[in-house]
Amino acid sequence: MKIGLFIPCYVNAIYPDVGIATYKLLDYFGLDIDYPVNQTCCGQPMANAGFENEALTLAKNFDEMFGRYDYVVAPSASCTAFVKFNYPSILDSNHPCRTGGKIYDVCEFIHDIVKPAKLPGRFPHKVSVHNSCHGVRELRLSSASELNIPRYSKLKDLLSLVEGIEVFEPAKVDECCGFGGMFSIEEPAVSVCMGEDKVKNHIAAGAEYITGADSSCLMHLQGIVERNKLPVKFIHIVQILASGL
Amino acid sequence: MSSKNDIINNIRRHVSTEYDMPEIRVEAVKFDNPVAEFLEISRSVGGDAVMLKEGEDINTFIRALYPKAVTVATNLSGITIPSFNPDETDDPHSLDGVELAIVKGEFGVAENGCVWIPQNVKQKALYFIAENLVIVLDKNRIVNNMHEAYERIAASDYGFGVYISGPSKTADIEQALVIGAHGAKSVMIILY
Amino acid sequence: MSTKHAKSATLFIRNREQEQWHNETLWFVRQKRDNMAMRIPEWEDLRELAGKIKMHTVSRLDFYLEMFSSEAERNGITVHWAKDAREHNEIVYSILEKHQVKKLVKSKSMLTEECLLNPYLIEKGIEVVESDLGERILQLMGEHPSHIVMPAIHKKREEVGKLFEEKMDSEKGNSDPTYLTHTARRYLRREFLTADAAMTGANFGVAQTGEVVVCTNEGNADMGTSLCKLHIVSMGIEKIVPDLKSLGVFTRLLARSATGQPSTTYTSHYRKPKEGGEMHIVIVDNGRSEIKGDSEHVQTLKCIRCGACMNTCPVYRRSGGYSYTYFIPGPVGINLGMLKCPGKYYDNVSACSLCYSCNNVCPVKIDLADQIYRWRQNLDSLRKADRTKKLMSKGMKFLFTRPALYRTVLKMAPAINYLPRIFVYNKLNAWGYGRELPRFAGESFTSMWKKGKIRKTNKQ
Repeated sequence: MKIGLFIPCYVNAIYPDVGIATYKLLDYFGLDIDYPVNQTCCGQPMANAGFENEALTLAKNFDEMFGRYDYVVAPSASCTAFVKFNYPSILDSNHPCRTGGKIYDVCEFIHDIVKPAKLPGRFPHKVSVHNSCHGVRELRLSSASELNIPRYSKLKDLLSLVEGIEVFEPAKVDECCGFGGMFSIEEPAVSVCMGEDKVKNHIAAGAEYITGADSSCLMHLQGIVERNKLPVKFIHIVQILASGL
Repeated sequence: MSSKNDIINNIRRHVSTEYDMPEIRVEAVKFDNPVAEFLEISRSVGGDAVMLKEGEDINTFIRALYPKAVTVATNLSGITIPSFNPDETDDPHSLDGVELAIVKGEFGVAENGCVWIPQNVKQKALYFIAENLVIVLDKNRIVNNMHEAYERIAASDYGFGVYISGPSKTADIEQALVIGAHGAKSVMIILY
Repeated sequence: MSTKHAKSATLFIRNREQEQWHNETLWFVRQKRDNMAMRIPEWEDLRELAGKIKMHTVSRLDFYLEMFSSEAERNGITVHWAKDAREHNEIVYSILEKHQVKKLVKSKSMLTEECLLNPYLIEKGIEVVESDLGERILQLMGEHPSHIVMPAIHKKREEVGKLFEEKMDSEKGNSDPTYLTHTARRYLRREFLTADAAMTGANFGVAQTGEVVVCTNEGNADMGTSLCKLHIVSMGIEKIVPDLKSLGVFTRLLARSATGQPSTTYTSHYRKPKEGGEMHIVIVDNGRSEIKGDSEHVQTLKCIRCGACMNTCPVYRRSGGYSYTYFIPGPVGINLGMLKCPGKYYDNVSACSLCYSCNNVCPVKIDLADQIYRWRQNLDSLRKADRTKKLMSKGMKFLFTRPALYRTVLKMAPAINYLPRIFVYNKLNAWGYGRELPRFAGESFTSMWKKGKIRKTNKQ
């Protein structure tokens, strides 16, 4: 099986370590990974801001670039969800979407496809899991708090394989952190207010680290933590899962 | 009539996908002991409900609950405590000041503590205007849920009917729950 | 680049204590709703079913409306049809005039808010008394609801206490909710006893039987309608459900979703006029039938006005109902406002982080967030798109469709880390409002990959 690795634009530029951890982890499972170097952005920022038309070319390029792989794997639940759920309607009938059905967030991929019984890592810290909106309510990485369905969390399942870790969750377990792409700059007051509340809940849960499958949420929360000099650190979940590598 | 035609025609003009009526067959919650559930839920919604004990006299029971109530209204023949028949008045306004109304419920709903009362007094105002309301209900008439409830009333012909679940309440001031907004300040359901 | 919503929200949040109270209070209602939903094993099936019943009813609305009106008429009810708000108000007034009504007592109705009925009737010399406690408070204050189920949620008890001192002669300084509620009870009891007509909205209209169903906790709808000889119902065309069997599905969902109660205290079924009285139903379109043909937004017609989307919305909770420019706030209000007049109400479309929680709580499964996403796509053609966002989107497209340029930018980006703060944190940078910027890494993933720094090890 051939995997196309998608490293979203902001992860590429700001959090390359998340990309490296993703690669190492997939490599650890003996998978055949390719990284198409012409990749850029999935187009979600423009589309969510109301400019789907600006995302069309990107969607086409992405779909052509990644269409030939068996799986597309990305360390970002939100970008994954965008490709999975929005590409089929953005791409027209001249270009039927090929990637929507085979893109996975890296956690989802490891949990559902690789299904490892153990992980090499050790992470003797208290972490609070950030359940991102698109991870929960689009990709269904955990049971959404609004729904009356059996409770589960793929992220917590994976973290439970890491030695020494203590896993917590904040109050209002999957409430939005307020990032929301361009929402964060169009409604800065609400966005920051939501982020401050979120950070408070994570810290109250007893976290040394806030972790999650979406670096975008973490970036927003980290900006708040740094501005207010709060005592909590950030780490993407793959960095924890790959901590022994 | 023309506005009706305009509206109906406009609805027809705006063609949309036609969706079939789904079959309404819900595997709805059922209780091992619907009566126990009904009693519990009735209490949780701010009301009260009791099961009359074997041989216990309903009049003694009500009198003990409302020892000071002077203006008691009921049209139930089994009620012998001093009361007046509200059906004798033509003016619902005259019922203002009734301290206690005793009425009959048709059946109860276990899942939400509702009691169905198809209008069975002359002035339906009685159900709402009385300070306190006692609903007398046959303990064998408790259904599990609203699906069963509507099945029961499907064939009945009421001009007015109401499900009552507990006393009148509001939380419009700072979401603080207050019992006794406009209707009865207390509701007691007596199962017999 | 701020929308009106963003600006009002900034002001709302400035009073952080009030914002937190508002946020937490509505979150508590969301939690109560969750508790109810989790107690019903078939909850998700019920939502699915309710959504399907509504979609079916909407797609056959002409059929069901005719059935409803002929059944209602057979029961002795007079049915009126109003194309728009003006016609609705005229019909209501003509009925009141015919009966020489001086005082009208109303229970809560968002439709009459929509039609601006109260000012219209007051202008004609009719005394209009709102009887729902929250509505009455707002009426006395001259304000409108900030939430469709909890209209006065933005008011503090002290404000209500002050108002009642002035209007209801209550004790000075007493702002205990129980005391205030019971004061209002006494005052409104007098209004009920002296009213000439009662008006209600409708939660449901049952086509099969021609009856309307009204749900209240206070009992105000019933106090009014059981004392007055004249009952006027104002009902939107989308309130129809096919039959009692369907009604059973909705009455299980409504109160649980709205306030986290297993049922409202009173679920009243009005099928015939009371003895010696008259009952009128005004069926109102006011733009609704147009929505039926709009495949992207037709689902808003399923709405049963429970308000659950507001209680869960992280933006609504932190910005309050008045930050929206349409009279219905929150996720469903954003959509209904756009359907009413996009050129007027586009400011609300920014009030969404696309978290999708509204979709999950909606008892009839309206695709609320998806619709907001779709409205955003339309803003540009309405010439209402935000210019900064448009510029940024175009710029991103330019960059991201040129991989070589993108890689060059990735290389240069770290230099931004060393810019003096004043260049980065200023009024032009909304991110800097309360947040530090992320720092670009020394080397991007792509660059490391190209240099072969990321290599296969296959340790396992």
